[in-house]
Amino acid sequence: MWGTIGFLIGLAGLVTVLAGPVWAQEGEEVASAIRRYRQHEVSTGYYEEYEVKPRRMLPLVEIPGVRRGLFPYSPSAAKVRIRTRLADSHRAIRFYQRARCEKCHIEQTRDIHIVRANLTCRQCHGGEPIASIDHIYSPMNPIRRHAYVCAKCHEGSSASFASYVIHSPNPADMGTRETFPLLFYVFWGMVTLTAGTFLFALPHAALWGVRELFIKEEKAEGEDKD
Amino acid sequence: MRTKTRIKRFTPLQRLFHLCLMLSFLTQGSTGLARLYMETSWGQGLARVFGGYEACRAIHIYVGFFLLFLFVAHIFYLFSKINWKNFPRCLFSPDSIVPQPKDIKDSLQHVFWILGRAEAPKFDRWGYWEKFDYWAVFWGIPVLGITGLLLAYPVAASRIIPGWGLNIALWVHRIEAILAMVHVFTIHFFIAHLRRHNFPMDQAMFEGSVSLNHTRHEKPAWVERLAQEGKLESVLVPEAGARKRVLFLLFGYCAVAIGVFLLIGGLVNSPYITW
Repeated sequence: MWGTIGFLIGLAGLVTVLAGPVWAQEGEEVASAIRRYRQHEVSTGYYEEYEVKPRRMLPLVEIPGVRRGLFPYSPSAAKVRIRTRLADSHRAIRFYQRARCEKCHIEQTRDIHIVRANLTCRQCHGGEPIASIDHIYSPMNPIRRHAYVCAKCHEGSSASFASYVIHSPNPADMGTRETFPLLFYVFWGMVTLTAGTFLFALPHAALWGVRELFIKEEKAEGEDKD
Repeated sequence: MRTKTRIKRFTPLQRLFHLCLMLSFLTQGSTGLARLYMETSWGQGLARVFGGYEACRAIHIYVGFFLLFLFVAHIFYLFSKINWKNFPRCLFSPDSIVPQPKDIKDSLQHVFWILGRAEAPKFDRWGYWEKFDYWAVFWGIPVLGITGLLLAYPVAASRIIPGWGLNIALWVHRIEAILAMVHVFTIHFFIAHLRRHNFPMDQAMFEGSVSLNHTRHEKPAWVERLAQEGKLESVLVPEAGARKRVLFLLFGYCAVAIGVFLLIGGLVNSPYITW
């Protein structure tokens, strides 16, 4: 009797342990950007719904500027705390209906797509409610952005193409060293090269010009007499 | 018969290269700045000359291809000119444009001469500033050409590099172009036109020759070497006719005027554009 009960308790415990957490049972729910069907997805821009749900949280993985520290949020709280994952990115912003985009996003209006190509915000971000960049069904989600947004003008664009930073940060800013280090260092490298060239060449040319005014008009050896 | 008072310095093919480079460089500078400065009336006016914003892009790309073609043709030209039997020693002969230890010594001595602290160095055929100009273009065209190709064909480029590489390519293209234009429109023009030795214009690149008397002052080692080797007489040529010289002068000053216009317009309007 007690042996049977003990066996059943043990079996129940074993089943509980072996079953694992909920996410482990959803074996198909993996982000596919890296491995599965990548070629197919990149070429067609078509993604299965279940493949683009956010991956489970990795407690030790930090995302600079987004997530720092151990267990900073629970998976459910992330929907609230991280505005880039909302179905309506402007949810609960007061007086939103009367605001214009540039009231808050002035920096984002200063790049070549807007200034030169005369694009408006809605042409890429869509109508209300504007889904957050990383919301699972957002056209702006990096997993399908190239097909749903970029390809409207740039036919044949790929996921790599969509990684172009439309709202490019000011490369001279110190903040860019954190968000886009290569741009920061290349920019300052080129500026240093340019400044270095002119710091030497401009005074050199100017002083040379002045110095030539003081050359005595002597005939060089073998020179014809004018 | 006119007296031979000038030394041959550039072959017709070299002058043709320089002429093509001049015309395409000014076109690239104008069309590129027209697009960069599109928000200002100066940029819009500049673009109108070429048929508008989109036409500027088309011209910029075509002329960019032409510059890359020139670069490749120049590489073939170099390979045909290298004395392969004497390679690589020939690269370090006084007639070679490859930088050599003597150039460092000459440049330092020249700076000291400018400051009145030393005798003027005896330059040979190519002064260090001329070598600097040559190599600046030599590395500048591939840098501008490669980044330009990436930016002109971004969808294709993003198959080779990540898309965010285009953000970087854009800034490399811009800064390198600004470096090239400011250098040509200030330093190159000043050295070739305004300093006393060359005023009003160094016509060597158009006429193909330089005055023997002037060269005795500026490049004494070259003239001495030619005299020692007994080649001096054979490289002497007469001066070009007056009409040609006037044409060269007008053409050269047109290029200077365009360059100064782009330089001043670019500087004055630079605060008013979205970089």
